[in-house]
This record gives sequence, C-alpha cells and structure tokens, in this order.
Amino acid sequence: MRCGDYKENYIKDEEIFQSRFVKFWLSLFFIFLIVFPFIANAHMLYVSNIIGFAVIGAIGLNLLTGFTGQISLGHAAFVGVGAYTSAILITRYGISFWLSIPLAGLASALAGLVIGIPSLRVKGLYLCIATLAAQFIFGFIFVHWESMTKGITGIHIPPPQIGGFQFSTEKEFYWLTLIFVVLGVGYARNLVRSKMGRAFVAIRDRDLAAEIMGIDLFRYKLTAFAISSFYAGVSGALWVSFLKVVTPDHFPFTLCIQYLAMVIVGGLGSVLGSIFGAIFMTLIPEVLNVLAENAKNYMPGMEQLLIPFKDVVFGFLIVSFLIFEPRGLAEIWNRIKKFFTLWPFSY
Amino acid sequence: MKKLGLFILSFILCLGPFSIAMAQKSPTICAVHPFTGRFAFAGIEGSAAMQDVVDMANEAGGINGKKIQYYWGDGEYKDDVGIAAFKRLYAQYNPQIMFGQSTGMTKALGPEIKARYKVLYSAYTMTSEAANPKENPYLFIAAPTYTEQFGVLLKYIAKEKPGANIAFFYSDTEFGREPIVAGREMCKKMGLNLVTEEVSQVGGVDITTQVLDMKAKKADYCIFQGFVSNPIAAVIKQSKDYGLNAKFMGTFWSTELQLLKELGPLAEEYTGVTAYSFYFQEDVPMVKKIREWTQKKYPKVEYRSQSYMENYLTTLLFVECFKRADKMVGGITGDNLTKALQSIKNFDVGGLMPPVSIKSNSIPVGRVYRGNSKTVRFDPISDWIRME
Repeated sequence: MRCGDYKENYIKDEEIFQSRFVKFWLSLFFIFLIVFPFIANAHMLYVSNIIGFAVIGAIGLNLLTGFTGQISLGHAAFVGVGAYTSAILITRYGISFWLSIPLAGLASALAGLVIGIPSLRVKGLYLCIATLAAQFIFGFIFVHWESMTKGITGIHIPPPQIGGFQFSTEKEFYWLTLIFVVLGVGYARNLVRSKMGRAFVAIRDRDLAAEIMGIDLFRYKLTAFAISSFYAGVSGALWVSFLKVVTPDHFPFTLCIQYLAMVIVGGLGSVLGSIFGAIFMTLIPEVLNVLAENAKNYMPGMEQLLIPFKDVVFGFLIVSFLIFEPRGLAEIWNRIKKFFTLWPFSY
Repeated sequence: MKKLGLFILSFILCLGPFSIAMAQKSPTICAVHPFTGRFAFAGIEGSAAMQDVVDMANEAGGINGKKIQYYWGDGEYKDDVGIAAFKRLYAQYNPQIMFGQSTGMTKALGPEIKARYKVLYSAYTMTSEAANPKENPYLFIAAPTYTEQFGVLLKYIAKEKPGANIAFFYSDTEFGREPIVAGREMCKKMGLNLVTEEVSQVGGVDITTQVLDMKAKKADYCIFQGFVSNPIAAVIKQSKDYGLNAKFMGTFWSTELQLLKELGPLAEEYTGVTAYSFYFQEDVPMVKKIREWTQKKYPKVEYRSQSYMENYLTTLLFVECFKRADKMVGGITGDNLTKALQSIKNFDVGGLMPPVSIKSNSIPVGRVYRGNSKTVRFDPISDWIRME
C-alpha cells in the first residue's frame, strides 16, 4: 500500500513516474529489455522486433483516434509511404538509413496532412471513409508507379550499418527497435500532458466547445494527422529495413484493421494501451500457433481441426476482454494498480 | 601428470565419436504451410503430401538408415506470421531443408537463407525469383515458373493458331502480375498479337467491362493469371451471354477440379497448363502408388489436388537430395544439398512428370489439359511441353 505520497505542486503531480516504487520496477524492466537479446533465440527476437514496430505504429494511431477522436482507416497507407520512402532513399539516392528514417516519417506526415484535410469538414464514419480513400490511393501508387517502387517485384533494401558493422540479424536490429520505441513512447507520453495533448483531448471530447474556448481546430486536427502519420512512417521504415524487402503486399487493408484492433483492445486514449494492444495482437496469435503446433504431439490427427480453431480462440479473447473491460487492457492494468494502492485495505 | 595426459587423450578421443554423431544428425525438413487464410486449400493438401512422402521414405529405410524428421508450422498466408514460423522452426529443429508458404515470404527470406541459414528451400510459389541459381542457389521450385507456364500456353496457341489475338486477364497482385512483362515479349517472339490486358480483383464478379472489351478487341484466346476460381468462372459464363468467342486458358493454380465444378456444362471452355499428372490418371505408376497409399491410410479421402501433387514431387526431390548429399564429403549440409539438386538429371518420378532435370532451379515443363463436363475431369490435349 502506498503511503506518504502527496504532492506539493502541479509539476510533481504531473510527473509520469510518481513514486520510487514505479521507478524501481521500470528500471528493472529496462534491465530486462537490455538482457533479453542475450537470452532469447532468433524467433523470440524476431517477434520482439515486430512488436516494437507495432508499438510505434499503434501509438501513432492512438494519438489520432484515441486522443483526438479522428477515426482513420488509412494507417496502413501511411506505414507504406514511410516504408517506400525509406527504401527509395536508401537504394536509389544512396541516403543512409539514419537519415532515411526521419525523412520517411516526414513524408508520411506530409501525406497525413493532405489526407487529414477532410477532417475539417467531416467526422465519424464519414471521416472513416475519407481516410479509407488513402488506403486505396496509396495502394494503387505502390503497385503502379513502377519506375519508383518497382511495382510488385518490390525493392530489396540493404541492412543499416555504422561503419563496417551491419544491423542484419534480429539481435542486432533489436537495439535499433528498442531505441526508437523508447523515443516514440517518451515523446508521446510527454505530448499528451502538454498543451497540444490537452487540445487533442478537448477536440475529442467536444470539438465545438474546444473551438469556442479558442483551440484552433484546423491546426490541431492537421497536427494530429501529421504526428500520427509520422509515427506510422517511422514504423514502416524500420519494418522494411528489418525485413530487407518492401512490396505492395505488405500494406493491405487488413493492416489498418489490425492497428485499429491494437488501439481498441489496448485502450483508446492511452499510450500504455497502445503498447499493451500491440503486444496482445502480435504475441497472442504467435502463442496460439505454438500451442496448436504442439497439440499434435498430444492429440495426433487433430491438428487439422485445432489450427483453424486458434482463430476462434483469438476472436473469443478479444471479445472477452472488451466485454469485461470496454476501455481496454490499459484500464485493466489501472484497476489492478488501484487495487494494490490500497491493499490490504479495501478503501 | 600421467593421469592428466590420459584424461586429455580420453577427451580428444571422445570428440571423435561426438563429431561423427553431430555429422549424423537426422535429415530434417521443416515447412511453413498456410493452414489458415485464403490459401488453406493448398496448405492442408501440401502438408499431407509431405507427410506421406516422408512416411514412405522412412518405411523404405530412410536415408541410409536415418529416419527423416518432418515438422511444420502454420503461416496463415501472412508474411510476418510465416517468417516467425520459419525462424521458430529453424531455432527449434535446425533443419537442412525448409519449405515456405508464399512468394512474399520467399522474397523476404531469400537473402537471409543465402547469407545465414544456408538451407535448401522451396515454397508454394512459382515466381522466377525463386528459380535463379546465380542469385540464390538455395532456392528452387519443383515446377515451371509462371513465366514458363505462360510460355507453354503461348507455344501451344502458336502451334494451334499462328498469329492469334491474345488477351491477358490477371489479378492486381504480385501473383497476377508476375509473368505479364515476359508474356508480352513471348507474344512478340511467337508472332502472336497481344490485343488487350484486363485486370480484376481476386474473387471479383463484376467483370462485364472486361468481357466486352475483349469482345471489341476480337480476342481469340484469353489467358488467366493470378486467380484460383473467381472470376474465371464468371468471365467464361458471361462470355456466352455477350457473344465472346474466345478460348479460355489458365495456369497451375486455376487448373483444378474446383473450377470445373463451378463451370458445370461449360467445363470444355477452359484449358489449363499444369506440371503434374492428376489423381484420376490411374495409368500413371506414381499416381497409382499415391492412390493405393491414400486408400490405405486415409480411406475417406476421395481426391488429391494438384497442390498435393506439387508438394509430393517437391518432397520426392528433397528425399533424393538427402540421399545424394549423404554420400558427399561433409554429409547433409545446405551446400551439399544444393549440389545434389543440381546433379538431378532424368530423375524418374513414375510419370508424375516426365523424368526430372533441374534447369535454373526450376523444372520448365508443363502439359495442357482441357476440362470435360461429362466426367468433371481434365483431359490431356498435348504432350509434355518443355520450355528452353
């Protein structure tokens, strides 16, 4: 039970890590993240990298949808813009990976600004459809602008390097992913407690009232689209540098749905929710795959039934979480924390 | 001192059998199949084929007494999931041969297979990128590439009707677009007239515009690529409504009984190229063997698809490569397996295909079949055609 925890000013109250207990466990978690690549095998490191890219992309979408209330079905397109920008800059113009990442983010942000313009006139489901157009427009460009994107053949990308050292294996790339995830999470967490973050929330909660209060809807909505797309672009650029290939088939519409599922299951309006959602949506199918594959050792001949059944189990898990906590995994975490704040007392 | 010397000598001697034991690691195949997702029809049959060939080979003594191990994972026909399954299987079983689920996965893993994993690799793909020994000697396909399949069809057309008008009808996917550029060149070389190219979504049914365009351009032949069934059946049915008198042809994945069932009385309108004999060709020795095995082990199974035949042949080649590599210095390693693959010439596969010779890491041979609405089967209308 937390005792003697009181704040004397707003700055203390606004701190992200509010107690030594939290700082201690977070430090332990960081130590685990640093030790992890030395104890994990290639498969675990591969999945960790994929989770990292998903976290960055999900945070971007949560900033737009969860914090600003703008539903977007074009997130995969912005991931693709970042991916292709990075691939083209590296392979065609010889620009280094380190410069291509921010440039890819900027390219996606620019695309997000353009696609976000309808948000000034429409909202809700209408905005949904307007952003869906981005998915089809960019999908078409990825396939048909063959002189730049090489069409369906795709672009093979060399691994990033510093001097003679290449980040080509899962273990080596893990460090890059970790750095970008820490930067992305840190920036987002600070953004949401800043003036801009409060403006986003005000627009989400009641945009007319926000406008009356003096919040420039035009500026903040477009900024939300730009920042969200920047995150998506960085995620895409990292992902394709990790895979060392980019093709149009990497950015189907189902990727948009996957990102939306991450932020909804994880918790809208929560940076921690984006992280939980990304981990859940990436890790749980992998765990179910392993269980289904190993089931044949105990139930030989049943694997043909068990393998498709894992999709049913996954869907059931998502629905169950949302029934028991519609505000997502982040809210479950908050409830657990509140319980232990007063434990062993009830009130 | 004497004891220390004895200990060291014993240790060194123990390393000998240990190293021999290491070299005698079981021949292992790991495969990522699409058991779920839109390619599940191929994954389920393909995995069954691999298991059957491995079981048959083990019953016949394995590889010089060593049993072949076979493990699989579900890739869900998604690249991320497939690659994760690949890495999981490799980390767990350290195989010498691996099999993948798609073109995308093959392209993503190709450079790593060459640089790091060094395993013999094939996949549910017929892309030319998986049949380029100069770029990547570890990748091969036990079939003609899509480009070679187009070549077989165009060669057949050029013989049947020189100077014919051709239409390409393909899906707006990697699978659909793969052979189109080469197809255009082949039309020019063979003196065929490419009059139009139609594009449609996979599974699309609104194809009236495309049918009318082909009619306006007077297409004599329409070649499909990138579809399994729809919209092929829809195009053929609507062609009768709109008076399009073209002959319809397709490549491997669409030349399957499922399409004939959808076409019903119009089955004769479809001609396709495939690389393998069909399950109902009982006069083919290998097909007879497959039927006997299936009836013994899976009495409820009535038919094995071309996906089964493809994986059956691929696994036959895997087993043959194991046998040849096991006799080489160093035993069964990825490099020896690639050498073994290149040494395969006129390998008898019991009529499943003509005697197999690996050329540029593919088998550029196919046969043209026409649908039969009465028997709901495919009848061969050409001999085996080799592409140079």
